[in-house]
Amino acid sequence: MKEISLDFILNGEKTSLISSPNRTLLDVLREDLGLTGAKDACGGEGECGACTVLLNGKPVNACLVFIGQVAGMKITTIEGLIEKGEFHPLQRAFVEVGAVQCGYCTPGAILSAKALLDENPHPTDQEIRNGLSGNLCRCTGYNKMIEAVHLVEGRG
Amino acid sequence: MQEFNYQRPSTITELKEHLSQPGARILAGGTDIVPKMRQGKFSAPILVDTSGIDDMRFIEDRGSEIVIGSLTTHQELTESTLLQNINPALVTAAGSIGCQQTRGRGTVGGNIANASPAADTLPPLIIFNSSVLVQSLNGERRLTLEKFIKGPGKTDLQEGEFIHSVAFSPLSGAWGAAFIKVGKRSGMAVSIVNAAVAVVLDNEGKIGELRVALGAVGPTVIRCRKIEEYLLGKVPVPAMMKEISEACQDEISPISDIRSTEEYRDHAAEVIIHRAFNEAVDQAKGRGQ
Amino acid sequence: MREGVEMTDFPRKTGKHEIRKDAWNKASGKAKYTADIPVENLKIGLIVRSPHHFARIQDIDKKPALEIPGVLAVLTSDDIPGEKLFGSLVPDQPSLAQDLVRHLGEPVALIIADTKKAAGLAQDVIKISYEPLTPVFDPILAAAPEAPQLHPDGNIITELNLGDGNIKQGFEEADHILEDTFDLPRISPGYMEPETSLAIWEEDQTITVWVSSQHPFTDQGFIAAALALPIEQVRVKSGVIGGAFGGKEDSSLSILAALGAWSIKGAVRLVNNRRESFLAHPKRHPAQIRYKLGAKNDGTFTAMEAEVYMDTGAYASYGPAVAMILTETLAGSYRIPNVKVRTALVYTNSPLSGAMRGFGSPQSHFAVESMVDKMAEELGMDSILIRKKNILNPGDKMFTGVTLNETANSLPLCLEEAQQVINQLKVIKPAPGKKAGIGFALAAQSMGLGANVPDDSTHRLEWAPNGKVLIHLGSPDLGQGLAMAAEIITAERLGLSFEDVECLELDTLETPNGNVTCASRMTYMVGNALLDASEKMIQELLIQAGTLLDLPASELQYQEGRVIKPDGTEVPAVEFIARLAEESITLTSESTFSFPYPEDTTPQDLPIGMPHVLYCYGGQVARVEVDPELGTVEVTHFTAIHDVGKIISLPGVEGQIEGGVATGIGYALYETMLRKDDQWVDGFTEYLLPTANDLPLHYENIILEVPEASGPYGAKGIGEITLVPTAPAIANAVFDAVKVRVYKLPITPERVLGFIQ
Repeated sequence: MKEISLDFILNGEKTSLISSPNRTLLDVLREDLGLTGAKDACGGEGECGACTVLLNGKPVNACLVFIGQVAGMKITTIEGLIEKGEFHPLQRAFVEVGAVQCGYCTPGAILSAKALLDENPHPTDQEIRNGLSGNLCRCTGYNKMIEAVHLVEGRG
Repeated sequence: MQEFNYQRPSTITELKEHLSQPGARILAGGTDIVPKMRQGKFSAPILVDTSGIDDMRFIEDRGSEIVIGSLTTHQELTESTLLQNINPALVTAAGSIGCQQTRGRGTVGGNIANASPAADTLPPLIIFNSSVLVQSLNGERRLTLEKFIKGPGKTDLQEGEFIHSVAFSPLSGAWGAAFIKVGKRSGMAVSIVNAAVAVVLDNEGKIGELRVALGAVGPTVIRCRKIEEYLLGKVPVPAMMKEISEACQDEISPISDIRSTEEYRDHAAEVIIHRAFNEAVDQAKGRGQ
Repeated sequence: MREGVEMTDFPRKTGKHEIRKDAWNKASGKAKYTADIPVENLKIGLIVRSPHHFARIQDIDKKPALEIPGVLAVLTSDDIPGEKLFGSLVPDQPSLAQDLVRHLGEPVALIIADTKKAAGLAQDVIKISYEPLTPVFDPILAAAPEAPQLHPDGNIITELNLGDGNIKQGFEEADHILEDTFDLPRISPGYMEPETSLAIWEEDQTITVWVSSQHPFTDQGFIAAALALPIEQVRVKSGVIGGAFGGKEDSSLSILAALGAWSIKGAVRLVNNRRESFLAHPKRHPAQIRYKLGAKNDGTFTAMEAEVYMDTGAYASYGPAVAMILTETLAGSYRIPNVKVRTALVYTNSPLSGAMRGFGSPQSHFAVESMVDKMAEELGMDSILIRKKNILNPGDKMFTGVTLNETANSLPLCLEEAQQVINQLKVIKPAPGKKAGIGFALAAQSMGLGANVPDDSTHRLEWAPNGKVLIHLGSPDLGQGLAMAAEIITAERLGLSFEDVECLELDTLETPNGNVTCASRMTYMVGNALLDASEKMIQELLIQAGTLLDLPASELQYQEGRVIKPDGTEVPAVEFIARLAEESITLTSESTFSFPYPEDTTPQDLPIGMPHVLYCYGGQVARVEVDPELGTVEVTHFTAIHDVGKIISLPGVEGQIEGGVATGIGYALYETMLRKDDQWVDGFTEYLLPTANDLPLHYENIILEVPEASGPYGAKGIGEITLVPTAPAIANAVFDAVKVRVYKLPITPERVLGFIQ
């Protein structure tokens, strides 16, 4: 198996690396780049959304993306949402309304919510539910996540 | 994760060359293949990644035909106003697949090539008599989607070939096209049964053309020709539902599996054919006015 | 929110809307769960698991695995230096299989390697030969004498026979008798963070183990026993925990991580994938409940008889205790004078069942609350009215002999609230083609571990020189917000701001033993201990301040972070703390709270070894719309009514209720761990958790505050009861909509339409 080298923009910074091609974006983020905000909860089946990151602004399950597929792309992880020490409004809203319990699904859910609001700044309740439906959560029942997204779209 | 050599062509010409190597397999959105490779259910000594190719990601109106590039994502199908006007059943189906994350990755070509009996984009493509354009280093060929799908997980795709695009002709006049699915939950639902119906009404309000396709009730998506023949030339009224049901039972062969039972699938198939039929007829009547 | 009787003036200093402190790190990806902790020279642990449901291990050949470059160790049961079995109630579970494997996915060998790849290759080539045995999956079949025996003492682990009154007479008095069998599925706790553990062997011959666990002190004991180490040499620390819901009262992975680190004298991490989590860690017990209820024409219950078979899978885990709560709650919240119940807990070759949120109560309540509605239907009575007639009152004895205290006052309040909600929902028209139905269920959930078992919880406060009060919280926060509750209660008592009080992460070397986080009792236990510790700390502060000021402590007063001198002048407490720090004196106080089991209300001679005496109550109203042709059920409206005694944190309470209801909806409609083609459903593709799209668009909490006299500021538990009434409420609503009663969960379209039982 031949290793591959690639470049991409990670949280605004140009990143180059060499990797075996049979590793996923999630493996590389967690193991090589020390970014452990993206989580593995379903065992790499794309069923839970805990590893959601943004690829060119669109949400993807990082466990379903082979590392070669991100060459030349822009990746945003939860760690990249903080700008100049300021939390993203969605991070603040999730925290403030109590949408964070165990927190394992939180980074993925926030990134899905961001992708949703970037496309649709004033979603309905049902649209928010659709937007979050790929992010499983066992703690919250989703109500407070939905409230958090409304809080941000209302402020926006 | 199993090992493979990774290649990433950036043009269709390069893709043809890469796929001509023995053991080369194509990687599109990865939503099915990546987990299958992890579980050892799919192997590829050479994996040819299409993420660098932009030329197969399009939805084009070519007058007599709508052509969809195979790397077009479900999300792109969902957002297309062109498709909304021409095959709303396909838009509904694409929007019902998975979630935001997987709709943005999964492709129409991948959905076709997987040939799952429960694939949601297949019934709405089949009711438009879609054809598949298959290419390879040796040239290209075009065949109907129905012929292309051979069985569960099986297609007519030969070594070195890939799906370039899928195409279908728009319906005209008083037409309608609807898709309905039954899943086990609302979010990230996999179809237990799905159905697509296209109908064209003639000037007298009779059924001039009818196409019915059902998914997850047989080894492949099934085109229900008995129902089509039975209803052709009739005025759609509720009374004909019993006959539709009977015709439907002749054509489907559902199985019991972990998701549902044969009996339920039989029953639900009838119900959603009725509903999709009624919805398509309503659309057609609207367009006929 | 509705206010109950006898309000305390809490909160004064803190608010009901404090923001939990751990949320910032969690929302920014900085929180370190055990799988995220960076470690130098970390080695990978991988478990080789049984491919059989039941088999005899004939031979294990490690050699091919050891020959893989990068493989450091291949360990089997023979390599465990100390105890080879563990189990909190019954020590029946091998850390690595010995001779027999009793379920699919059981750990057989442990591979330690430099890389994932080497470990994976070793897993592929290790040679283990098995002689397959005939497995048994049905608990009723397994209970029969001719069934394959899983353990030396037979397949029935626990058999409980309880009665009250005269059952024969009770049914003779009844005008109506109904009998049905209810069937409850195996479900997964479904925490998002799969089990993981990290162990580091230190140069000083001690071992440090990070766990994602509800009971780090129990883990510490099992690790020490397995490694034959003195307990002082084992240090257990809690990583951030990604949910637990009962399923992480399980030491399996931490023992194996420790074994790996001990064997290579290095650092080893084990991270389960979801499949492993499904196969080898505790689930909710499947149960078959035959339930017979008698009532008079006026609705008064006269007798109840129940027979229960519970499937605890291959190992007991907490099964015997779950069986007790299931049994104790078989009469629900009702006064039934004549009762006879029998519960058998049986080993099968299924994945093990153990603790899960609700701990037996969701199973019993599905039977009770379905049957009460069915009896109301039989009698032509309103379903709230029949409940009003039969609910327990303070002072009443449950059939277990437990006398209820005044918190049972919340039962009629729940019913009144429910009636109002039902009245409002009745006027809503269903969508075209759909049929609407409204259902209600009431629930009781015990708090505490039960009488006659150690149920103590110790926690410590430390007033740091920077003025912050640190809480050495002896029980882990699983994600539910225990730390926040502890901080609020402590800040409130000390009159400090929420920001001035902070919980530390659990470390068995530093932290007192707060006991396992479970049983709806953490706010209650921790809160009471910390109230007492705060009190002690104030007294100690005044003594120290007196010494420094050369005044008798009795002449000083403490108020909101200040010491008040006899002349009325005030000195900030932090000034004394700083002065003491200069003399290397740190102000600390520690307190143990023991769950009260009052002699006069706790039955002493019950066959249940550990009766529960304090209960939480709640009720839930579901409105569903059923598609009568497809059999699909949509929960459109949901109201959860719960008495919490006292709200300590409003978002905390709401979060517990909303999350519990979501899990309850999963139990009602979607979740079941089926076996098909000889494999268990072991992933989220077929095991369906509710998504954001599956939960009711219209949702409301009604939170009652009926203070519990023994609770901190009147608070009691809320963790578990939130999912107990959910499934029967939905089943009752489905019946109301389409007149179909579903006796087996989940309520699938196939069952609604009668295609399967």
